[in-house]
Amino acid sequence: MLLLVLALAAGPEMNSCVTCHASQQDQRLARPAALFTQPDVHRERGFACVDCHGGDPSAPDKTRAHDPALLFKGKPTGQAVVTTCARCHSDAELMRSYAPKQRVDQATEYAASIHGKRLATGDPRVATCVSCHGAHGVRLASDAKSPVFPTNVATTCGSCHADPERMGGYKLADGSPLPTSQLSDYRRSVHFAAMTKGNDLSAPTCNDCHGNHGAAPPGVGAIANVCGTCHAVFAQKFETSVHRQIFDKGCVECHGNHAVLKPSDAMLSANGHGICVPCHSGEDQSDHGNVAAEQMRGDIEGLKVRLDGAGALLARIKNAGIEVSDEELALREAGSKLTLARTEVHTFEPPRVAAVIADANGVVTHIDDAGQRGLAELRYRRRGLSMSLGAILLVVVALALKVRQIDRQRS
Amino acid sequence: MTPLQQTVAWLDERLDLTEVRHFISEKGVPVHAQKIWYYLGGMTLFLFCVQVCTGILLLLYYRPSAAEAYESVQFIVTKVEFGWLIRNIHSWSANLLIALAFAHFFSVFLLKSYRKPRELTWLSGVLLLFLMLGFGFSGYLLPWNELSFFATKVGTGIAGAVPFAGHFLLRLLRGGDDVTGATLSRFYGLHVAILPAVATALVAAHLLLVQRQGMSVPLDLEIRIRQGEGVPQMRFFPDYILRDVLAWYVALALLAALALFYPWELGNKADPFAAVPPGIRPEWYFLAMFHTLKLLPSHIAGFEGEQVGVLAFGAAAALLVFVPFLDRHALRGRRSPAFTVAGVLGLVYLVTLTIVGHYAK
Repeated sequence: MLLLVLALAAGPEMNSCVTCHASQQDQRLARPAALFTQPDVHRERGFACVDCHGGDPSAPDKTRAHDPALLFKGKPTGQAVVTTCARCHSDAELMRSYAPKQRVDQATEYAASIHGKRLATGDPRVATCVSCHGAHGVRLASDAKSPVFPTNVATTCGSCHADPERMGGYKLADGSPLPTSQLSDYRRSVHFAAMTKGNDLSAPTCNDCHGNHGAAPPGVGAIANVCGTCHAVFAQKFETSVHRQIFDKGCVECHGNHAVLKPSDAMLSANGHGICVPCHSGEDQSDHGNVAAEQMRGDIEGLKVRLDGAGALLARIKNAGIEVSDEELALREAGSKLTLARTEVHTFEPPRVAAVIADANGVVTHIDDAGQRGLAELRYRRRGLSMSLGAILLVVVALALKVRQIDRQRS
Repeated sequence: MTPLQQTVAWLDERLDLTEVRHFISEKGVPVHAQKIWYYLGGMTLFLFCVQVCTGILLLLYYRPSAAEAYESVQFIVTKVEFGWLIRNIHSWSANLLIALAFAHFFSVFLLKSYRKPRELTWLSGVLLLFLMLGFGFSGYLLPWNELSFFATKVGTGIAGAVPFAGHFLLRLLRGGDDVTGATLSRFYGLHVAILPAVATALVAAHLLLVQRQGMSVPLDLEIRIRQGEGVPQMRFFPDYILRDVLAWYVALALLAALALFYPWELGNKADPFAAVPPGIRPEWYFLAMFHTLKLLPSHIAGFEGEQVGVLAFGAAAALLVFVPFLDRHALRGRRSPAFTVAGVLGLVYLVTLTIVGHYAK
């Protein structure tokens, strides 16, 4: 009865493959049939088991259904997976009738990836198409349940790359063992937080820096370009900086790669936990890097203090009923300049940062002046009210005296 | 003749003020240990007049729409000459008025001044107290700021818990399923037209009754009067009036001090799509009721706890209206300790729940 229901649910494309496999006790054989009857992009577009596995789906017995003479291939592995998928996905004419905008160079990209190259050398453990997309129950990449949906990519990659056993034996270019901490590092990063807590699907995950089908570590010289894809202004500033020539790994030197933490002004220091410490000495006043860091940091901290003070002053007089909308706008403008100054830090030229800070300080001075005028108005109001209160209390006393006088006269 | 005497003589010639003069010279106010409570009513009336005057001034600039309400109040407090002062006084006076109205209510209740023949004075007074709460509730939303918006959502939500008619009442108050510009329009109409009209009529009736029936005396004193004891009298004019004016000035001084030291804040404009700010609660005079509803279990005897609570408050309000007819002892001029205990317990309950509600998270 169950088989009948399954067959009916699957529609006219269902065949003896599903009927037979669904009844198997061995889950390795039964699970593909079960998954294929669930949401599957291929089945929904009219493809059946035979399109990938070959054989005769109309045959009632296993021998005939699995007949190699009928091109039965069984379970494709390794390069056969890529070849099987590429038969359709690299066929521009065929793909046009299903997904006209979809690229058809995945197999070419894959061949250029670390995965593809190692597969070509006979490594059977590397990822192929099905490792990331699944073989049965395949969903569109835009489906939130797909393993390659942005929020799931890190877990999908991590299923291999965070597994020390699976990664055992793989080495980096310098001969050191391939680390397996990328997933845990990424989960601490500002990018992961933006993706999962901020619901920002454009936040980078593994494939945004490494590529997806052509996955490989970015070349050392290409890191700034990779980060600059999103952080264009920072990359532009960094390009003009003195560090451009010194930092082999570009942005990664200061910000890290997988565990990119939320940057703070405290990073800009050659003392304590400052990011400049590995190269510059906070004690050495002849160290230009130390002097530059201290100068830029001092400028930024000074502006922050002034912004906080101006904000508190505005809040105080606003609550007392003084009009401050223009000053609030100016305060936002000064805040934007602080952000701009932080961007300028990537040029590592204190005069450029100082110029932006000076501009912002000019705006804050205007706000402070307006705030002082507001405070003066507030004092004027209070004086007026105090005098009124005094006058009222005088009348109260006079009335009390009059009442007492009348009472004495009566008695 | 002084100009004042000349004016009075001129009016007397035309209107014959003999009766008024007679009323002023003959009217007396009994003097006893509890006479201090007499002044609360006058102070409440004074603050009501302050509310009317400052309210009319605010009306000149206020615009009752969701798009403009906040900005118009902002304009009043920042651009209009002395607008900040008028709004400050209006806000503080509203709160003082309700506090004094409650004090007046409890003093009258505990002195049993509602007993025959002052049942109608009590009735008009209780209705005025409810109206003042209505003024507070409707006026709180008008600045259309974050706190007032969400507090009104909570407040009108409580009306939605009334059994059977809850959904209708909620939609009637809100002008829809949610607090929107339609709610603001309704509250505005209620605050500046309907409530003032009814309140003015009730205040006039209340004052007329007080003047007609004279001041009540405490029950103990009345018993002694019946036994032949005399009660000293104070002349209404100028002795009592001067004391009343003195009390008004004290209220005015209190208002000025509050406006001076604690200017009323405007807050941020209401954003219906923003998350509810933490610690949203109604104005202090609804806190006891609000917190009681929060403390009730979800179900009481098979009914929803909130519904039972709202019904209980409705029943208590109805009982208050009929207190003069329920207190049979006072009606016959005898002591009624049960009502005294009930009044004290009610006062303790309100004060305690208000304080607890204020500090509750």
